[in-house]
Amino acid sequence: MSLFGASIRRKEDPRLLQGNGRYLSDIKLHGMVHAVFVRSPHAHALIRGIDSSAAAADPRVVCVLTPDDLPVGLPPLPCIDAEETTKPFNQPILATDKVRFVGEPVALVVVEGDRYIAEDIAGLVDVDYEPLPAVSTAEAAVAPDAPLVHFDSNVVDVLEYSVGDASSALAAAPHTLSERFITQRYAGTPLETRGVIVEWDEPRRGLTMWSSTQVPHSLKATLVGYLGLPENAVRVIAPDVGGAFGVKLQPYPEEIVLGLAAEQVGRPIKWVEDRYEHFLASTHGREQYHDVEVGYDDDGRILAIHDHAVTNTGAYLQRLTLVEPFIGVSMLSGPYVIEHQQLVSTVVMTNTTPLNPFRGVGHVQAAFTMERIVDLVAAAVGVDPGEVRKRNMFSKDVFPLHRGIGNVLAGEIIYDSGDYQECLRRAMAAAEWDDFRREQESARAEGRYKGIGIGFFVEETGLGPYESGRVRVEPSGQVIVFTGACSSGQGHDTVLAQITADELGVEFDDIVVVHGDTDLVASGVGTYASRSAPIGGTAVRHAAGSIKEQAIRIAAEMLEASPQDIELIGGEVRVKGSPGSSVSLAQVAGRVAPGQPLPAGVDEYTLDATDVYHPPTNTFSYGCHVATVEVDIDSGVVTLLRHVVVNDSGTLINPLLVDGQVQGGVALGIGGALLEEIVYGDDGQPLNANFMDYLVPAIGNMPEMVVEHMIVPTPLNADGMKGAGEGGAVGAPAAIANAVADAVLPFGAKITETPLGPETVYRALQDVS
Amino acid sequence: MKPPDFDYVAPTSVDDAIKALGSDAEAKVLAGGQSLIPLLAFRLAGPSLLVDLARVDGLDHITDEGDRLVIGAMTRQRRAERDPVVAERCPLLVESLRHVGHPQIRSRGTIGGSVAHADPAAELPAVVLALGGRVHVTGHSGDRTIEAEDLFQGFLSTSIEDGEILTAVEVPASGPRTGWSVVEIARRPGDYALCGALCQLQLDDAGAVVDAHLALIGVGDRPMRAHAVEAAVLGGASPVEAATLAPDGLSPGSDVHASSDYRLHLATVTSRRALTQALESAA
Amino acid sequence: MSDHAVTIRVNGVERSESVPARLTLADFLRERLDLTATHLACEHGVCGACTVLVDGETARACLLLTVQADGSEVTTLEGLTEGDELGPIEQAFWAKHGMQCGFCTPGFVLTIAEMLDDNPNPTREEIIEGLGGNLCRCTGYVKIVEAVEEAVSLRGGGG
Repeated sequence: MSLFGASIRRKEDPRLLQGNGRYLSDIKLHGMVHAVFVRSPHAHALIRGIDSSAAAADPRVVCVLTPDDLPVGLPPLPCIDAEETTKPFNQPILATDKVRFVGEPVALVVVEGDRYIAEDIAGLVDVDYEPLPAVSTAEAAVAPDAPLVHFDSNVVDVLEYSVGDASSALAAAPHTLSERFITQRYAGTPLETRGVIVEWDEPRRGLTMWSSTQVPHSLKATLVGYLGLPENAVRVIAPDVGGAFGVKLQPYPEEIVLGLAAEQVGRPIKWVEDRYEHFLASTHGREQYHDVEVGYDDDGRILAIHDHAVTNTGAYLQRLTLVEPFIGVSMLSGPYVIEHQQLVSTVVMTNTTPLNPFRGVGHVQAAFTMERIVDLVAAAVGVDPGEVRKRNMFSKDVFPLHRGIGNVLAGEIIYDSGDYQECLRRAMAAAEWDDFRREQESARAEGRYKGIGIGFFVEETGLGPYESGRVRVEPSGQVIVFTGACSSGQGHDTVLAQITADELGVEFDDIVVVHGDTDLVASGVGTYASRSAPIGGTAVRHAAGSIKEQAIRIAAEMLEASPQDIELIGGEVRVKGSPGSSVSLAQVAGRVAPGQPLPAGVDEYTLDATDVYHPPTNTFSYGCHVATVEVDIDSGVVTLLRHVVVNDSGTLINPLLVDGQVQGGVALGIGGALLEEIVYGDDGQPLNANFMDYLVPAIGNMPEMVVEHMIVPTPLNADGMKGAGEGGAVGAPAAIANAVADAVLPFGAKITETPLGPETVYRALQDVS
Repeated sequence: MKPPDFDYVAPTSVDDAIKALGSDAEAKVLAGGQSLIPLLAFRLAGPSLLVDLARVDGLDHITDEGDRLVIGAMTRQRRAERDPVVAERCPLLVESLRHVGHPQIRSRGTIGGSVAHADPAAELPAVVLALGGRVHVTGHSGDRTIEAEDLFQGFLSTSIEDGEILTAVEVPASGPRTGWSVVEIARRPGDYALCGALCQLQLDDAGAVVDAHLALIGVGDRPMRAHAVEAAVLGGASPVEAATLAPDGLSPGSDVHASSDYRLHLATVTSRRALTQALESAA
Repeated sequence: MSDHAVTIRVNGVERSESVPARLTLADFLRERLDLTATHLACEHGVCGACTVLVDGETARACLLLTVQADGSEVTTLEGLTEGDELGPIEQAFWAKHGMQCGFCTPGFVLTIAEMLDDNPNPTREEIIEGLGGNLCRCTGYVKIVEAVEEAVSLRGGGG
């Protein structure tokens, strides 16, 4: 049986289970010193001065870096998806004259000893602040006379997209309805926080940086730029990464400051973010509300939509901040034929931690908004929610489907493949929709309120621009695979070995996968946007394919046959039709080992191939979630009963791992649906920056989960892979919100926001009674 | 999130512990640390000395005194939770302990530590309050007992004086035909409840309530005894009727988890359910 | 402040060290003894990633000062089995894909070890209750529950 498509155990696990993981904080280097950042306690304040003399006087202090110690003219952090219209509200590397959110780094303290001492001494750095009025919500930020986070306006950009003529179509629609839907601010909160070790490399006149990052190559490029070092003098290593979810997908100011300090300090410096810092200084996501108006007909067909989304992007544009407002509106219509769309996305700055994409960026809000609307339309026309969806969905014959919307980074949205109606049908069947309706009926008779809800989504995955894959066969026949994608728990080592084993017929255990080291892997983009399998996997597939061609050429010489007559099967290179005439891949590799003349027609002493795969466009995964819940009407408490997902992420390399991705995504979606919210006071002070008050779902919050796959391969890559990392997180809030709304339907309560904590649900019930 | 610097002593006698506490105005008692150490990690507390009671003789015991159960302050929560004497003499305590954090917390957290910490959302202070228990404290001027009604003074604040240590917690043993229940509304199992009700009821042979105890957590700056509800129940009111009195005299604060109004509403909901379940378990 | 002498038996080996009072057991294990399987993810006692066994009972190593553990016996993931051998719980995590990034895994494994020692044949509800103090951000817990059930059968329980 081919390993490709098999649910095999991961390569990574034995090492981690033996306690031999090597996460950033596990690394110790000789002579290492310890860093902490002095951070702003104010949401908005002028910095009148920094007195670090008391700290500097402590004999344990190695260095204190304030903004004045940084090179003059250091540019702020880039925002790479900025539009021409985007205002340059970017983050300085250390706050200079002004701080704009609680937690913004102001100074670096490096000490001899340990983190305990570093925290003691950081407390001695005296920053003289003049507090300014702050603003923490988008609504407050656009009000007249709102405190300005930067200059002239808190609106950093207004993105507008339209298809058809929504105004006329709305005016002409038989019915319209409008509503505001609110998605709260929450965050990826990986169990491992960020962390950095930097070591000046004197022979190379450069540095090595270990960082818990999703994007080592991008970090390297950033360091090269900021430090003015030659490209070959900077090495970035991402060790084992303990979860990331998008939170680690950009170079951060801390990495640049530590890079800048490396030569001066001359000893390895370690900084490990603590959980409190993580809540303040690692990026958040989501916070976005949508004011929507839809026009529909008597059959529940949605004719037109007007959406105005407003995103609170925090104090600064980060690397990919605009993805949230862009995707939030551009993917709004998901699987539905809506001919007329007018989409406006206002991007607003406040004195809060910046937003950047995390697991399901924008899609979560889009799916929540759209799926709630569809249910409202269904209720208004008195048609079953499943049936209304079916009536509005694209058929399976429309692909490739140009949606007429695009942006700087993502390019035009072109749906590649799928069968939405079948996915919906299967999910409803797996959820036993009709049986549940009967159960709901009898429960209501006993005064118990259950509900069922659908969350359908289409999700842009497999984002470019490229990923690298390299396959090298050692003279022994053992294989090393190098990938520019890197793991934060997804199982890259396993699935890329599966692809390689499939292509070359070598043993899974004879393959080693290397990632996360810019010295070993020439180029790479990193792991986000559900891209590692479709882009990174395809690059490895192509590289392994090149190896195959090379091996056939070499074997042709060895077997004295024509390359056209040779095939590679099961690790054997053989003459077609004469199985006796074969050589192993190891023999082929040995034949080009150095120290001997090369075979004729072969010009390299290696069996080594690299592919840098640039996908033509992005893939679009989709899925249907169906949640069932029970709502305690007295308290508003929502209990999840069952959660069904039918997911199409194209061809699966390892279904066991994809199940894990979907289940984990659902858990994050459950957090967003019911539990998680980063809360700020009106003054911009964070109110729950800890794991006691910020509620990551626990095992007791989980429903029974059912995950099924349907596979419509994408034509965009050789294996038909579409990307599976995020869909679980995208569909869950919509499905759960719809289920809660369904449960409280007899009371007429309006469910328009997440998280649906007990008080929110209770208030929705009170508002009607 | 590393604790600030402090010194540490682990005395082996109550006298030495009191001496150590008296030696340093900024000294604090360490009684398991499951609440104190997070405060240290956030540097929200900055004691100069921790006096660890874990090695003090005579503070780890569960003593059945007939009509009373006396538990040494340093008895670990998990031990009490699993102890057959506690199960028999004070089942409400066992049920409450199951709601305290998680097993890893209860293995180190102590009965006395939790009571003395006096968190308004914690179960153990509320059990002592509900049952009309008391605590034994010792200080320079000798031993005294403090009735639960007088113990809890405000947010994380008790009438235990500086320099005194809590040595034991005492609750009345439950009698025949006693029912109990703990009802909490929490976002996640094991979290501090938004609101909770701890209830113990005793019935006579005719099934009438002759003894009623109800305390509420999460609805004020300290655990609150619902005297009005208890009186109504003793007067024959149904759980539904009696529970409507639960918000009387409460003025809970609002925070990121719940507003004051909602907590008041939950006081009624949890009281009603706790009374109903306690009645069922007594019957 | 002065250091304190402690002697703690860690994974069967007696360790005597002089430590500051504020050093948590987690940092003692990680920084002094290089036992880095005990992970720190919140440092305020919520997530369970630093769960170790102290005198046979699970405890959060971030909520325990090293000085408090003086005289105790501590077991970390590294000491749960001999050498690099995988015990039944670890085998089950591998077989059932009970882990992704692996950061929370040591805390889960130790919690489960204690749970199954206490109750070799837990019901699903008991598993869920027993694991309530350990957060995982990757798996959604589904495969962790499956791993516990698998571990039960590998240990010869179940049925």
